[in-house]
Amino acid sequence: MAGKAKAAFVQLSSCWGCHQSLLDLHEKLLDVIPLLDIKYWVAAVDFKVDDLKKLPNGGLDAGFVEGLCRTEEDVHLLKLTREKARALIAFGSCSSFGGVPSIANLFLKNELLERKYLKAETVVDKNTVPSENLPQITNFVPRNDQMVKVDVYLLGCPPTSQEIANAVLALFSGKPIEHSIKTICDECERKKEEKNVKEFRRDFEGKPDPEKCLINQGYLCMGAGTRAGCGAQCPNANHPCKGCSGPPEGVADQAAKLIGTFGGIADMEPKKLLEVFRDPAGQLYSFTYASSPLSKLRSANKDEK
Amino acid sequence: MKDSKEKNAGFEPYVLGLVCNWCTYAGADMAGTSRIQYPPNLRLVRVMCTSRLDPTFVIRGLELGADGVLVSGCHPGDCHYVNGNYKTERRMYLLRELIQQAGLEPERIRLEWISASEGSKLAEVMKDYVNVLKKIGPNPLRNSREKHHVDEKDLFGKELK
Amino acid sequence: MKSRTSTIKGGKESADAKKETEIKIEPITRLEGHGEIRIKLNKGKISDVQFNVTSARFFEKFLEGRLAEDARIITPRICGICPEPHHLASVKAVEDAWVVNPPLAARKLRELLLLGKQISSHALHLYVLAAPDFLLGPFAPPEARNIVTIVNKIPDAAKKAIELMKHGQELCATVGGKAIHPVTAIPGGMTKPLKEEQRDEWLKRMDRAMELTEFTYQLLLKIMQDYWDVITKVGVIETYYTGLTNNGEHNFYDGSIRVMSPSGRIEAEVPAQRYTEVVAEKVVPHCYATHIFYRKAGYPDGIWRGGPLARINVVEKMVTPRANEALKEFRAKVGRPCHATFAYHWARSIELLDAVGKAKKLLEDPDIVSQDYKLEKVEPREGCGVGVVEAPRGLLVHNYWTDKVGIITKANLIVATNHNIGAIEKSLNIIARQVIEDKIHEKLKLPKPMISA
Repeated sequence: MAGKAKAAFVQLSSCWGCHQSLLDLHEKLLDVIPLLDIKYWVAAVDFKVDDLKKLPNGGLDAGFVEGLCRTEEDVHLLKLTREKARALIAFGSCSSFGGVPSIANLFLKNELLERKYLKAETVVDKNTVPSENLPQITNFVPRNDQMVKVDVYLLGCPPTSQEIANAVLALFSGKPIEHSIKTICDECERKKEEKNVKEFRRDFEGKPDPEKCLINQGYLCMGAGTRAGCGAQCPNANHPCKGCSGPPEGVADQAAKLIGTFGGIADMEPKKLLEVFRDPAGQLYSFTYASSPLSKLRSANKDEK
Repeated sequence: MKDSKEKNAGFEPYVLGLVCNWCTYAGADMAGTSRIQYPPNLRLVRVMCTSRLDPTFVIRGLELGADGVLVSGCHPGDCHYVNGNYKTERRMYLLRELIQQAGLEPERIRLEWISASEGSKLAEVMKDYVNVLKKIGPNPLRNSREKHHVDEKDLFGKELK
Repeated sequence: MKSRTSTIKGGKESADAKKETEIKIEPITRLEGHGEIRIKLNKGKISDVQFNVTSARFFEKFLEGRLAEDARIITPRICGICPEPHHLASVKAVEDAWVVNPPLAARKLRELLLLGKQISSHALHLYVLAAPDFLLGPFAPPEARNIVTIVNKIPDAAKKAIELMKHGQELCATVGGKAIHPVTAIPGGMTKPLKEEQRDEWLKRMDRAMELTEFTYQLLLKIMQDYWDVITKVGVIETYYTGLTNNGEHNFYDGSIRVMSPSGRIEAEVPAQRYTEVVAEKVVPHCYATHIFYRKAGYPDGIWRGGPLARINVVEKMVTPRANEALKEFRAKVGRPCHATFAYHWARSIELLDAVGKAKKLLEDPDIVSQDYKLEKVEPREGCGVGVVEAPRGLLVHNYWTDKVGIITKANLIVATNHNIGAIEKSLNIIARQVIEDKIHEKLKLPKPMISA
């Protein structure tokens, strides 16, 4: 590819964490940024939406999209970026799977609005839901690739700085971006033993041994059902993996797979297992609820009643 | 969905049966040869052991439109592979909690132990299950698989300008 | 206000009726969040200014039903620039609800984690978000005013900025497991201790960090000096102020919530658990973020601000001698309380001096490498807990109700930047008038820009 790669960094409803991860390249940023001709990056530069609209369709080599569709504006911005970019890159787990905020799909939109604006302890008056000059809130959070075609997925919450640099380099050189086909267990250096867990525990119980596999110690580490790529950062911090880079290769449903895993290795009565799974959706779909076919149920049910 | 009997009139539930070779499938066979009558709503899929069932299959079955999924294997202690059915039991309990939390009736996943000689038990279970499913109505996830794409009407109830 | 000149050059005008026009700034940039500004004009006079925050993700609601210990993994996803404050406020809220007292070493490690974040966030804010406007000047093209230009034009300063941010982020990663969305603070303590080798390495790095911070502080002083006319004349608004103080001393991690009136009187000081006595939210029809105000003063009179300027106003003193020296310099020049919005950056750099000094002090404390970093036994219980810390941009409150097995049944969150939304709108009103009606930008004494675009 001759010359710089024309890129845009777009934010839907998001936390800025993926952008922060890009910045956390620190001095390596000085090598990566010059490869790009950045046409839109409101996080750091004073572009306006009109600047994005004015670009010719397909005028960008890549559009990095961070975040999920929670509002009308997010949907427009996602579709606009799809038009302008030859390659749309889902930047991070929110963009790839719905992310943590897609847990909100367990609730109806009205319940979300009500709690925040009409019931919160600190809200005075309790009679207004904002709606003036504001984009509508979506009935549920979809996966971005259910709305537009996504060409590349950068996984992780956030993707590591190195993974982001690799993506930019790949973009610049035209090479494809490869994901690991393995799970976090493969990257984790702990000593693994046969899994026949007699008792599971919650994350705050006890003091984890940093050498032994966390599942062997009874912690609910989601690493067995999570794609490798981050270097097992959380197990290295003596904390169970929470599944942020999504399911491994070939697995469509992270929660179902993890249920298979824990159901298989647990050596206890079912009711005892349920005691550590009081929030199955939150624990097993922490970052991927919008990917589940169950995710649209609440808002679909509402129409029927 | 739960209150309109008119909607459910004429509704015939589709029951996906994921059953083990050694016990329940044989039991179903026995029901056939013994001419035991039971509702025709069951579609059987035979696996060697219920522990072969990735919980994803159950979710996928529901996503594809099954109104109920019947998972059935050998009685605890009798598993042909020693402890496969214990794993299944734990998995199905967890899976039921998950779908209930998401807003789907837990009755849509049913776990039974039916041995090779219990053809009549299978018949009784099916009669009961079809009644239960008729009461709770069609699976709201029906047709969701065909419509993988999400559009503005889904998100806002109407087209955006 | 960061892009005030672009309200004239970059904003979009739409003619409604014959006399009415609207300038729409879409979106606001160089910050974390989503928003727009609408300036309504009637025959050339400002009739209304709206600050529209255009998104909300409803963490307060979807925390319901979650395991309480998972909240410290979920809530950092509110903000990727300042996940550490959320992580810590969340743990503190759960420990408050379950009456759990973590070991002293854990509290010190948590404070160190928070300081790492204040260092990198304040450096980020100063260099990446704010400095471009000052270094290039308000008449430089808006699209040129960004970190990339700084990197190209004054690479030495840019490298120092990057190095300082790196120290902060890597300190967070060492203590928190990951810099972005840390995991190590957990009900009962921390998941892992700080090793002696790590402590030794960080002590060395803190000296370098202090050098870089001094450089930053001196740069900030020069900017304040050069732009003194702007600072004292533009966007000066009188508001209430709020911040944590630990017996009158500046503290990010712990303390009571202090409220100061616009005249400088301390109106209230309450422990975290009683935050509802002072914190109130007004739901505004044109903004998904609420306007927060001092409950007893009512809305809109009670609109307050949080963050560096507010904290510098409400505290009696900083912790380290160097920062106290800087605070004296600040108060001698601008008084107490200081209402000048642009002085936020000066206050921010004073906090940066203090943060680096405090981090060094903690690293010198033998407790920081203690093996007593976690309680073995932690029991969930039914309760209501509040956890409060200072995030870079303001006070952060997490309030959870849990049932007897430790599931969250209800949650209330007051997020840092929220404290400033009402004041931002108020200052936009003033600045819009100053620029569009009074044309103040033509009358200000401005320096020759340090960098040309």
